[in-house]
Formats: sequence, structure tokens, C-alpha cells
Amino acid sequence: MTKKFSPSRLSRLSLAVWVTLMGAMLAVPGLASAATPEEPRLDPAQEFDLPPWISIHIFGIDMSINKGVFYILLAAVLTVVVVSLVARTMTVRPKGKVQTTVEIGYSLMKDNITDGNLDPKMAARWFPFIGTLFLFIWFSNMIGYLPLPTNTEHTFDVAGVAIPSFALYAATANISVPLVLALVVWIAYNVEGIRAKGFFKYIRSWVPAGVEGFMVGPILAIETLSHFVRLLSLSLRLFANILAGHLLILFMAGGLVVLLGMGFFGSVILGVATGALAVTFLLFEIGLVATLQAFIFCTLTAIYLDGAVAEEH
Amino acid sequence: MLAAVDATTAAAYAETAGRAMGLGLGTGLAALGTGVGLGFIFGKTIEAVSRQPELKSEIQSIQWLGFALTEATVFYGFIAGLIAFFV
Repeated sequence: MTKKFSPSRLSRLSLAVWVTLMGAMLAVPGLASAATPEEPRLDPAQEFDLPPWISIHIFGIDMSINKGVFYILLAAVLTVVVVSLVARTMTVRPKGKVQTTVEIGYSLMKDNITDGNLDPKMAARWFPFIGTLFLFIWFSNMIGYLPLPTNTEHTFDVAGVAIPSFALYAATANISVPLVLALVVWIAYNVEGIRAKGFFKYIRSWVPAGVEGFMVGPILAIETLSHFVRLLSLSLRLFANILAGHLLILFMAGGLVVLLGMGFFGSVILGVATGALAVTFLLFEIGLVATLQAFIFCTLTAIYLDGAVAEEH
Repeated sequence: MLAAVDATTAAAYAETAGRAMGLGLGTGLAALGTGVGLGFIFGKTIEAVSRQPELKSEIQSIQWLGFALTEATVFYGFIAGLIAFFV
């Protein structure tokens, strides 16, 4: 490998690219809107709008390609491509940081999440699902912190071409994506339980051993409620973590200053203070929350699967 | 700022005020329990590691699991506040 593509140079280069993108995202729309003073009021609810880019309607179902769909596809493509590439080009003794990182990730998925919570037969069957789930959620969270030109609402002109503004957006920040993932997991573990035990025995297994007589009824009702709430909590945990992180960063990085609308010097002072907070939150989110939420989702998946087929003790 | 704030009648003011209070109280009250829970988790981790330093990495992995599950409760309150404000 020539010196030009050495790992330290590549990581410095990618860091420089990311910092430039962040700076462009923050500075260019600000400069562009400073040039055209008729600024529409900041509407935070606009964060949740997803105007279609390419409208596709199949039998009345709206399957348009919009920003969220684009990010999901990007995360899926990244998951497949990165891991396949590493799998093809890996060596027995790891030569680069990427293979080491992927090996650490694989060990996390296999030894910690899957083997730590499932018996060997179930682990062998469900590891591909849990591994793919972990990588998809991880990539989806991480590219949410990379500014990409996807904000078609506010475009800015570069040499006459209207380029969409850079925006931070994560596919998992929309309730639909975590909900679908949680639905798949929920249906999967219930089907596994029914398959292992038969329908009525499975429902009966929700009640802990040792409970008998008239207490079974109320306890069964509470347990049924808790199983349905699992669907809600699994999806909401992932969704709210990523959404809150994005909102915090966006509000600290300028939203608060614009919303309060103080004079020039007040805005500058507040902007600098909250800007430092924005960077802190961004680093916190990237360093901890993105990976942790993927880890939690998959650990809970493994725990639910194990709980569904486990024998009563 | 938002549609909820463009209020003219007393009833609209009351609705705006209610929504704003719901937003603030949602996250604020949820953070009470979460703060206590997180402090508990990390305190127990410190105790456990001080008793058996060789188990540090295992205890830490359980700690992160507990942290994420406890942190989720503040987000339930946050989402409830958002629903109160926007819906």
C-alpha cells in the first residue's frame, strides 16, 4: 500500500471531509438566506415532513421515493456492501483497521448478543437475522449524523444549479422504520414460541410457574398487556433516542437562536454557547447512542426469542 | 412560531398554554425517575467493580444494557410531550 493511501492518511482525510460537510451544512444555507432577507418563519414541525421525490403509487398505496426511503436504501446498501467487501478481502491476520473493527463488531454480535442470550440451536438459526438487524440499525443511525444534500425544501444555488441543502436526517428518526423492525421481531418471537410450545401452552407459559388458581386470570391479563407493550417500547426506544438526539443537535446548532429571535449580539453570544453544546451532543450521539441503541435492540430481540422458547424452571 | 401559538381568543390561549405545559412537564417529570435510575445503575457498577476489579468488562456490558433501558423511560415522556404539543 503506497503512502498516499495509508490508513492514518485515509482516516484524517475522511475526518476532513466530514468536518467540511458539517461546515457546509451550517454555513452555506445561512449565507444564502442572509443574501435573501425574506426568511420564512422557522417551523420545527417541518422536520417531520417527507415530500415525495419520485411519486410511485401502486394500487392506491403510496410507495413514493422520499428522503426517508432514500436513507433506508442507503443504509441497506451500505450494510450489504461493506460487510461483503470485508468478507471477501479479509486475511487471517488483520491488516487494516476496517477488518479489526468488523471483527470486533462480529464478536459483539455473535458472542455477546446471540450466544449470551440464546441456546446453541436457536443461536445458530437466528444469528443471521440478529446480525443483519444490528448492522442495519447501526448504519442507519450513523449515516444520520453525516450531512447529505437531501433537503429539497431549501435549495441553494451554486453556479445556477439548485442544490438541495445539506441536512441531518436518520431513517430511524421516523416512527415507521423502528416500528416495522419491532413488528418483525415481535411476530418472530411469538411465532417461535407458538411453534415450540403450541398456541395454548405458549400463552399459558406467560404466567410464571408457581401461580395457580384464580390468580392466573389477572396475571395473564397483565402479562398479555406487557407483551403488547413490548412492541411499543421496542420501537419507541429506538425512535425517540435518535429523534431526540437530532432535535437537540438541530436546536442547539441554530434553531434556538432563530426561534428566540434576539438582537444581533444576543444571538451571537447565545449561538456560540449553544453551538458548543451542539458539537458535544453530536459527539455523544455518534460515540455512544447510535451503537448502543442498535446493541440494545438486538439484545432485547435475543432475550425475547429466548424467553419465548425457554422451558419453565 | 407554530400554529398552536397564533392564538386570539381566550380559549385558544388556554389550549396553547395547556399544550406548552404538557410539552414541558412531559420530559421534565420523566427525567426525575430516569435520573434516579441512572444514578443507581452507575453507582452499583462502581461498587461492583471496586469489589471485583477483574470483572470490570463484564459488569460494564451489563451496565450499558441497564443504561439504555433506563434512558428509554425519559424518551417515553418526551414523546408524550411531543404528542401533547403537536397532536
